[in-house]
Amino acid sequence: MIIEMNNIQKQFDGLEVLKDISFGVDKGEVVSIIGPSGSGKSTLLRCATFLETIDGGEILYMGKRAAHTDASGHAVYVSPQELRHFRSYCGLVFQQFNLFPHYSILKNLIDAPMHVQGKSKEEAEDIAMDLLGKMGIADKANAYPYQLSGGQQQRVAIARALAMKPEILFFDEPTSALDPELTGEVLKVIRQLADEHMTMVVVTHEMPFAKAVSNRVLFMDGGVIVEQGDPIDVFEHPQEERTKQFLRVFER
Amino acid sequence: MTLETMLSTMSIGMLRTTGIFVLTLLGALPLGMVVALLKKSRFVVVRSVISVYISIIRGTPLMLQLLVWYFGPFYLFGMNIGGWRYPAIILGFVLNYAAYFAEIYRGGIESIPVGQYEAAEVLGYTKVQTFMRIILPQVIKRIMPAVTNEVITLVKDTSLAFTLAYQEVFSLAKQISASQTSFTPFVIAGIFYFVANYLVEFGMARIEKALDYYK
Repeated sequence: MIIEMNNIQKQFDGLEVLKDISFGVDKGEVVSIIGPSGSGKSTLLRCATFLETIDGGEILYMGKRAAHTDASGHAVYVSPQELRHFRSYCGLVFQQFNLFPHYSILKNLIDAPMHVQGKSKEEAEDIAMDLLGKMGIADKANAYPYQLSGGQQQRVAIARALAMKPEILFFDEPTSALDPELTGEVLKVIRQLADEHMTMVVVTHEMPFAKAVSNRVLFMDGGVIVEQGDPIDVFEHPQEERTKQFLRVFER
Repeated sequence: MTLETMLSTMSIGMLRTTGIFVLTLLGALPLGMVVALLKKSRFVVVRSVISVYISIIRGTPLMLQLLVWYFGPFYLFGMNIGGWRYPAIILGFVLNYAAYFAEIYRGGIESIPVGQYEAAEVLGYTKVQTFMRIILPQVIKRIMPAVTNEVITLVKDTSLAFTLAYQEVFSLAKQISASQTSFTPFVIAGIFYFVANYLVEFGMARIEKALDYYK
């Protein structure tokens, strides 16, 4: 397993956002997480990528423990240096892209490989140009983020995450900030990555996409995983009343 | 006194004024960043000390602060303050301007979207790398107009050094005007300040333009 999260608990000011969540992702698996807003989907991704600290539970990457609950019931993490190592296993694509506006597209892709991983400029540029080509935006290498459309910016953000060669890539509603006509181009690259068996977890409201691309679908609500399984089963034969109710909203 | 002697006497004052200006910027621009970062420290004692410092500096006249820095060592500790005049002036200006720059920097730092920090964190940048490579360059661009304002004010504030009888251009203008019963020295001083600020505006506009390659 690439990542394993066991009994994850997370509170914000006493409000339980994640209640004892457990899930894992195998190599090459594509998992979609669906559910209403406020159900804890984003928080789960943010805990998995260490942007939030868990209050209880256990996080493992490649079988190695990054965080666990100690005897006193508090969650403890490995040292900051070790945590940086764990961070290198995962990448995250944000809803709002979060590209670095003062860097050119190419620089956005090579800066971290060079200054975090210590790659040479040539090597980093080779990887970057390769990825930009794959994303269909090689001609934008010298442009700045503000000159690109939202769909192009999100593809750059995906390329930036991939340039770090993560074991697993998380997507936090990657198309929610995009105009409808631009979501297609972003979903297309994610689908392409799925075909190459990139391990991915995608929080999304794009139900047809989740159904077509994922190996497994998780339906979250109220801080728990209500139902999970094969996309066909979850979408066409949901077992739980809450899942049926949620999916009905998407049938027009 | 001919206009020529007047100009040559006053040009020495202009050099001294420029000296205060340059040394103040060299000290206050970096010190302001240190103060801004300390104000965001996780230690409450550090934050409180910095808040009190900024509050006092902003709440009292610079003229009074200069007097305190110069005469304070004598009145408080009975120290000999001979030769202390110029250091006291520079100290007073640097500490005063650092407080204002610190607040400008802090505003700039806080205006950077949290997503920039998060993107850097996920990519594995250290805190120092995040600040130096991602945050600071964007802060500099955002604070340029406010910094320009402050630098222009500094050009004019240098005249407060006359409080400590330092012979910069404004002190000299006042002296020559009194001894020669002439208004000309003030006109010369006025032109000097205006030209200096014109150059500041020009220089800062160039920098802003250079930073205009992204939005």
